[in-house]
Amino acid sequence: MIEIRIHGRGGQGGVTLAKLIATSRFLKGLSVQAFGLYAAERSGAPIQAFCRYSEDPITNRNLIYEPDHVVVLDPTLAGPPIAAGLKSGGWILINTPEAPEQYTEQFPNNAVATVDATRIARDNGLGTRSVPIVNTALAGAVGKMFGFPLEEMQAALEHLGFGGSNLTAARSAFGQVRLLENTSLPAPDKHAQTAEVPGHGPSLIEGAGSGLPQLKTGAWATEQPHRQQMIPPCNHICPAGNNVQGFLNALAKDKVNEALHILLRTTPFPSICGRACPAPCMEACNRIELDGAVNVREMERYAGDHGETDVQPEEVREQTVAIAGSGPAGLTAAFHLARFGYHVKVFESAHEIGGLLRSGIPDFRLPEEAVNREIQRILDLGVDVETDHPIDRESLLDIARSHDAVLVATGQQEQRKLRLGMAGTRAVMPGLEFLDRVNHGTMRVDGEDVVVIGGGNTAMDAARSALRLGASSVRVVYRRTRDEMPAIQEEIDEAQEEGIRIDFLTQPQSLHEEVGKSDKRRCTLICQRMVLGEPDESGRRAPVAVPDSEFELNCHRLILALGQSPDMSVFPEGTEVREGRQLLGLLETPVFAIGDLATAEGTVAAAIGSGRRSAIHVHNVLSGDHVTITEHAEAARDVDVWRDEVIGADTMKLHLFERQAGHQGESLGMARRRSTFDEVHLGVEDAAEARRCLSCGVCNECDLCVTYCPEGVLKRVGHRLEFDYAYCKGCGVCVAECPRNVIFMSHL
Amino acid sequence: MTLQVVTGNHAAGYALSTAGEANRTARGAACGIYPITPQTEIVEYVAKFPFSKGRVVPVESEHSAMGVTMGAALGGARSFTASSANGLAYMTENIMVAGYYRLPIVMVAVNRTLGPPWNIWVDQGDTLMLRDFAWLQFYCEDNQEVLDTTLLAFRLAEDHRILLPVMVCMDAFIVSHTQMETDLPDQAQVDRFLPDLDLKHRLRYDEARTIGGLSWPQEGLSMRLEIDEAMGRVPEVFQECRSAFTEAFGRDPGDQLQTFETEDAETVIVATGTMATTAREVVRHRREAGERIGLVKLKMFRPFPQESLRQACRPASRIAVLDRNYAAGSGGVFWQDTRAAFQGHRDDLLIQNYLAGLCGGDVTPAVIEQILDDLADRTEAGSPAWIGIDEHSEVPV
Amino acid sequence: MSATAGKLEQLPGLPCTEECLLRAGNTNCGGCGMSTGLTMLGRALRDAGETCTLVIPACCGIVTAGAFPTTSYGVPTVATTFASAPAVASGLASIRDLNGEPGQVICWAGDGGTYDIGLATLSAAAERNENIIYFCYDNEIYGNTGGQRSSSTPAAAHTTTTPWGKAEDKKDIVSIMAAHRIPYAATLSIAHPEDFADKIKQALSMTGMRFLLIHSPCPTGWKSEPADSVELVRIAVNSGLFPLYEVFHGLDYKINVEPDGTTDPADYFSRQKRFHPDEIDLEATRKRCENRFNQLRALARINLAPVS
Repeated sequence: MIEIRIHGRGGQGGVTLAKLIATSRFLKGLSVQAFGLYAAERSGAPIQAFCRYSEDPITNRNLIYEPDHVVVLDPTLAGPPIAAGLKSGGWILINTPEAPEQYTEQFPNNAVATVDATRIARDNGLGTRSVPIVNTALAGAVGKMFGFPLEEMQAALEHLGFGGSNLTAARSAFGQVRLLENTSLPAPDKHAQTAEVPGHGPSLIEGAGSGLPQLKTGAWATEQPHRQQMIPPCNHICPAGNNVQGFLNALAKDKVNEALHILLRTTPFPSICGRACPAPCMEACNRIELDGAVNVREMERYAGDHGETDVQPEEVREQTVAIAGSGPAGLTAAFHLARFGYHVKVFESAHEIGGLLRSGIPDFRLPEEAVNREIQRILDLGVDVETDHPIDRESLLDIARSHDAVLVATGQQEQRKLRLGMAGTRAVMPGLEFLDRVNHGTMRVDGEDVVVIGGGNTAMDAARSALRLGASSVRVVYRRTRDEMPAIQEEIDEAQEEGIRIDFLTQPQSLHEEVGKSDKRRCTLICQRMVLGEPDESGRRAPVAVPDSEFELNCHRLILALGQSPDMSVFPEGTEVREGRQLLGLLETPVFAIGDLATAEGTVAAAIGSGRRSAIHVHNVLSGDHVTITEHAEAARDVDVWRDEVIGADTMKLHLFERQAGHQGESLGMARRRSTFDEVHLGVEDAAEARRCLSCGVCNECDLCVTYCPEGVLKRVGHRLEFDYAYCKGCGVCVAECPRNVIFMSHL
Repeated sequence: MTLQVVTGNHAAGYALSTAGEANRTARGAACGIYPITPQTEIVEYVAKFPFSKGRVVPVESEHSAMGVTMGAALGGARSFTASSANGLAYMTENIMVAGYYRLPIVMVAVNRTLGPPWNIWVDQGDTLMLRDFAWLQFYCEDNQEVLDTTLLAFRLAEDHRILLPVMVCMDAFIVSHTQMETDLPDQAQVDRFLPDLDLKHRLRYDEARTIGGLSWPQEGLSMRLEIDEAMGRVPEVFQECRSAFTEAFGRDPGDQLQTFETEDAETVIVATGTMATTAREVVRHRREAGERIGLVKLKMFRPFPQESLRQACRPASRIAVLDRNYAAGSGGVFWQDTRAAFQGHRDDLLIQNYLAGLCGGDVTPAVIEQILDDLADRTEAGSPAWIGIDEHSEVPV
Repeated sequence: MSATAGKLEQLPGLPCTEECLLRAGNTNCGGCGMSTGLTMLGRALRDAGETCTLVIPACCGIVTAGAFPTTSYGVPTVATTFASAPAVASGLASIRDLNGEPGQVICWAGDGGTYDIGLATLSAAAERNENIIYFCYDNEIYGNTGGQRSSSTPAAAHTTTTPWGKAEDKKDIVSIMAAHRIPYAATLSIAHPEDFADKIKQALSMTGMRFLLIHSPCPTGWKSEPADSVELVRIAVNSGLFPLYEVFHGLDYKINVEPDGTTDPADYFSRQKRFHPDEIDLEATRKRCENRFNQLRALARINLAPVS
């Protein structure tokens, strides 16, 4: 008689495997038994099944305690208990991807064979992903072990109604068994089987029945959940490096001060960016796929305007840092360096600090109050300022000698030019100069027809400012289409709402003075129609002139808002400008170019990012520390795995979120928009919009995983998720139900 | 205590109700009830009893009647019900659970023919079908014994050494519907006799405990063994209860096994219920004629009083076992247990089974006489003898 | 008892704690909807400061308790025969009320014990308006015995006793219960935890017979991925296959979740191997859902006189 014991888990089909083996012998005319040890076990619980066959009638009706061979359906069960009572010379067949050599030490007394029946079952679609049914594959493998012909095992399978993929699985496993024969097979230990004398166990009438479960169901699991964190697209794309998800999450929980705190880890200008940022985060927002991007810009403004937090230097350091230029890059660097504890001094050529923040963005988009407030927060850190102090090659060397590090953040001072004629006349003016004079109240265009050339924010700001100053008409000329315009989309919309006409696909050719008029001399701008051709090096489709399409535009004033380029004259000849790189190697003092001067990215947000990265870099250079950008943002949470990967909308479970319209703030009435420089956007009343944030790839403690865990063995402990692996059965519900892919399964 | 003429059902209803009422100072009383002839009057009595702290739940089946009664018992209340024949069969699944959960429920069962054949008259096959489910069983011969045994049953069942349910059985109509003078004790007497029920293994709302979890063989075996030990303690505890009863009510409720003229009897009749009453009279007459004959009345059938039976029959050489039941294929149930009691002790005894009064047949003294004559003629025991099978005219149906 | 198990031990009594209803170390299948239901019930009881006694007939729910003398239930629990839970609960609740004790008496039964063998007992307890809460975790199959059809099994589902797919549709148990004019009858889904908690809270605030039907996924019986459990019943609700609604006093109907109009019932069938896609008439299914909802909407509008 041959006796086989099968160790598996509920749901894997162990009893059926016993029946398959028995059937294969039954069909050969042998006497057989196949049975399971039935108890309360459910899917995944360790189970045993048995098979015996014999030439003679079988009279034994007991369990099998001393099997001839053992089959193990699940590799996690392959411990000492499976070899209990196993006869000398008996083999152990284990379902595992491992080689049999892996088990030599564990089972020195027996021959071990392995086969990856789980993979074979999965490949053949047998069972479910977490509970593959491996019995038919193993029937093939067992046949191989016994030396039964494959046809006999197939006959058994077919006899029991298994066909198709089950036969394929059995054939695969038959061919894939790996056997390691051990040379020495000493006698096995005698299986100790002392029957307990029946006596008084726990008594019902004495109140028994309240013991705690002894079963560690974690042993059932073939997979385990873990917590991970991915990078939300907003965080990834933010030029300032803001933890967008983080501050939105704080706002969503009505923690406006914490939201501001999170923002100030990266940007000193939330109130400013909350008004003036083109917000690439909103274009990257995964919520677009559901019902529209989260209005991050308004939320940043809300946090900046309503949050309160005390910012102090973290410690006091002796070293001094000079910063040339007080635009957003310079001031951001000053802010962070001051927080690191350095003595910071800012040199500004103008009479006031703020650079472009003051001169380049008109009040109706960025009120002076917000700029003053956020600059004051920087000054309150103890930053020294010296205004009316232009930096040239000579003075740069001077301040380098008197400081431990120098940052040059002079931005892009050179206005791009377009040769149209009439240069230097009153009729033609660069955009930034126009905006600066508007800002200082020294610009008048009332009654004039104004044409602005360009498609960026400066062009929009100039056009809208001209309108507010009483221009009788304002039109913008841009050589590509609206889709290519670099200006913030909303600003283009608003400019058009206010009555500004934009001539797309229009290239100015030349400007001519109109003859005969007196004080307000009119000019004629000759333009040409364009069409879009192949993409150029910027990735945008390049405009191509339409032959014979010239036409004329009349105007009193032409504003050229064509962008700027850096003025490199402060550096020695041949200096290569690259952010973060030490320049002026002849000096001991490190000197860095930062902001637009180095990167030419052209937005406040990019300048903030550059200023912050530079500050951290300078700090690392001066202190020998190794602070990383991520650590500095305090963005990392308590997670098992940090996946340095941006999470896309396709990885999010968007259907688990309810659709909810976004919140847009109120706008100023049109009459006042056309006649005053009052701020157009009035902001939102509350932070409800933040609750629309999906918190992509970052746990926001929604705790749906805790809610749905069938076992209640997943708990929130502070900010951590605690998986009780002693009991977790690895069902994967937490993974399936996490809307933001924060939990993943690992194979055991 | 007042002597009144009431039916057996009335006596049973009175005993169940006053026993339930006596627990008003503890956790009260409750029961599920469902009618079936011939016990309906019992549950009707209970239903109209003004319990101070109790609830009678009229349910939709005997199965649920025992369900509600078990629920009440699990809640620690004094609990009871009554049923008969096919009602008992329908209740059987829960009868088992009540026994194995060790719930001290008292059920009055009126013995009636299990249909088919469909009739409503006496036959003990219904309760004997339930003999193996960890219930104590008592068979009573008159109204007073029904009342007394029912009251005693509560004290016995609820004793911490026992904790097993009790079935008090009586013959359909011959007891249940027969008006006889019966001593009905005062509530105060019942209160004194029955202490507050303190069921220590009841479910408590603040105790996390599962009654009825799955059990491995070892635990299951242990539970069965505990039942066997409790069964073993019944004779002794019964005597204590009997003494207490006598003290409380001034009346002996009778022994678990009652003998009549067996001291020197060569012939012994073993009978239960009203057949025992009839047989006693036949014995009395035959004694007067000088015959050495006696009667053993089995009041308690579970646990089976083997030792008392052997003692009572020590002088006897032949025994007639009267069975008002038929276990198809193996004769009468009382006969089976009687033979087992003497197996290996008295191999010389002639033990003959008489199946008498089945399906409502009347067992008259003449029937008993016929049985005794038959027994006297026998030199060895034969297969169970069917009595009255050729005498249709004598059966008053 | 091991140290690890010990940390899960809670003091018994009031109120119930989350762990105290269903303990870790139980033998339920991974992804079992009944486990989630018990866990959610435990939380709701905790939040309400309540505790309970469980009365469980033969079903997976009593196997959950595990081997005597241990138990996976952290509240007093009794196993009853298959058809008896409402009867035993009636007895227990009576004694609780006679003694003025706290705690709900809760029947926790599968669909076999509710729709089939226990229906008469349940009906009788409902007719008597017993002061109990009856939960049916409806996994639409005899799970404990390995997957046979019950009268709750939906049409077309393959079970071991309907090997070619069930011909008959699922019994409408809530209508049956509502017809008893019990104070409260409601359907619950573990995929709608807030609604689930609200309904338990509602039930706890009332006395008399309260009937709550939980759509309870069974990965083993439904032949679905354990991880899909919640999503499957979510699809069932959002597509209209399993309406979430309440019936007060058998008269006042309230629909809690309308179909979202975008969830396709096809997903429900295709993700369970108990269904064979070629046997499902999706058009008829959609029509049936629509008819059912129209019926419910009509009932929900008939609020002639609110019953308080």
